[in-house]
Amino acid sequence: MSKPYTLQELLIIAVAREIHDYENVILGVGLPTTAGAMAKTLYAPNATLMMESGIIDFEPLLPLNHIADAHSCRGFSYATDLFSAFTMTYRGFVDVCFLGVGQVDKYGNLNTTCIGDYYKPTTRLPGSGGACDFISYAKRTVLTMLGGNFAEKLDYFTSPGYLEGGSSRDDSGLFPQGSGPSMLLSTKGVFRFDPVTKEMYLAQIHPRVKVEDVKKDVPWDLKISPDLSETSHPTDEEIDFIRRFSPAASSGRHLAIELMIANVMKQNK
Amino acid sequence: MTLQKSKVMSVKEAVSQFVSDGDELVIGNYTVGSCADLVYEVVRQGRKGLTLYSQSGIFDIEVLVGAGCAEKLVTTYVLRPAGRRGGSAVERALQDGSMQMEDYTNFQYNARLTAGMHGFSFMQVLEGAMATDLFRKRSFLGDDKYRVIECPYTGKNILTVPAANPDVCIVHVQRCDKFGNAQYWGALGSVAAAALASKRIIVSCEEIVDHDIIQSSPHLTIIPAYRVNAVCEVPWGAHPTEVLGYYNVDQFMYGLFVTMDATADGLKTWMDEWVYGCEDRIAYIDHYVKKFGSRNLENIRCKPYYSAPANYGSAFTTRWDNEGKERAMGLTLTEFEQVLKERGLLYE
Repeated sequence: MSKPYTLQELLIIAVAREIHDYENVILGVGLPTTAGAMAKTLYAPNATLMMESGIIDFEPLLPLNHIADAHSCRGFSYATDLFSAFTMTYRGFVDVCFLGVGQVDKYGNLNTTCIGDYYKPTTRLPGSGGACDFISYAKRTVLTMLGGNFAEKLDYFTSPGYLEGGSSRDDSGLFPQGSGPSMLLSTKGVFRFDPVTKEMYLAQIHPRVKVEDVKKDVPWDLKISPDLSETSHPTDEEIDFIRRFSPAASSGRHLAIELMIANVMKQNK
Repeated sequence: MTLQKSKVMSVKEAVSQFVSDGDELVIGNYTVGSCADLVYEVVRQGRKGLTLYSQSGIFDIEVLVGAGCAEKLVTTYVLRPAGRRGGSAVERALQDGSMQMEDYTNFQYNARLTAGMHGFSFMQVLEGAMATDLFRKRSFLGDDKYRVIECPYTGKNILTVPAANPDVCIVHVQRCDKFGNAQYWGALGSVAAAALASKRIIVSCEEIVDHDIIQSSPHLTIIPAYRVNAVCEVPWGAHPTEVLGYYNVDQFMYGLFVTMDATADGLKTWMDEWVYGCEDRIAYIDHYVKKFGSRNLENIRCKPYYSAPANYGSAFTTRWDNEGKERAMGLTLTEFEQVLKERGLLYE
């Protein structure tokens, strides 16, 4: 029996397992960078980790603060600019990228721009950043949704998933054939996309979550895989890696901040 | 080398001379090493009606928008200080209609500056965005946000963005000489394009170095002296953001800002203390040390990890060898002049 784990650890490991050896990987902020660091150390030593700011082939020693964080590695192999990071994606040199999700619809189209009216938003979200271009041209895209939600209709269509489903993405002529989101990870399970309809379905469920718990977050009639599996228990090696590399990733941000404040208060006494 | 004049001046002088009301102003830095002191000085001097360009609008854009300096914003990404629940200066300005914003993707924004930098009128961008609301929903640029043209070679539809040539770029770098040769390394982002696309360039740097240092490492120079209008030496000039090789992000100070930025009153209180309340970066750092001690700053100073030097050496630096003979002809200068005379090539 392996060590007990936290939910955050389970999520990071589910993402890390999506990175294969020898792949070129674009990492986004947060959970994917810890997952990338773990994959590079444990399963994919020959993966090339890249960030859109032009930091290419780096080995993170610390959790990254953002996608221009050269302080968290000891040098890197190739310093290029943002323009070239995207043109190499356009040319097909990126195997997988990771994107965070604000709102997602059943075909994996994303909104990270606003809630409410675009011109007078109720909530202004960050925006596209690199998302729209990466999900357009990376060979596949892994979506991570920690704070976002499923929506029947997006308030704003920032980044293209499978458009109207079926073959509409491939038929549009705008994207490389076969590209698009390959999975979506939420705090409750892992979703994948039907090869024909391109509709999102529940493929895997995290331990202690019920299918009903997943369904109640989704406004359409969510399809469930007949082979629904349970997310596997992380190994000791995986858990140990995350705790040493990024203890705050193990605990989650809220507990990490609480512990940091307690420490500051103690020191100031 | 040609005689060049020093462009060294204070941040106050630089902003007063080169940033005007109504300018298109681009923040050259991307996410990291933001030109914080130049931003604060624009706010202190009360510039109005600016059109801001920012590759990624982090705390710098929040401060400029929160201070009411901006009428328009062109960007790809804005800060959400406290996650979904917290507000932001940009969100407040959009809600009360005091500012308009044009959204692009990271690549498209960079492409506008790259076109401007090279003197082109537009740039091809990645056509996938035509499927999205980025393409459909347009703000103050209207039809000119994007145009679609037919590629003359393939006949395919091509998505394009117009060139941007902002009036002035403010940018922070690691080091610079007094003439304005600015050296920057780390996450290159769109720093060079933002600066070179602009009509005027104000550089702030952690340190001014001798011209020799620049000459021995020209691969690090991202803005050449002949394009730069002002050089300002500002140690800790990007604080609370980080500068590679100088200091890490100050998470404590950044956290404080983010907490205060969630509401308009909070941001105003923070700016009264840290922007309006400190006349320059020296006063700002003094205030920081008085309030929080110097330990935070000492803890985030970078330990060196030097780049291996690139050898810019060559076999010789004069046509004349150690014996005073021309390397190819094998003649001394006197012998050479004798030949010129014998051949009738010299005139009295």
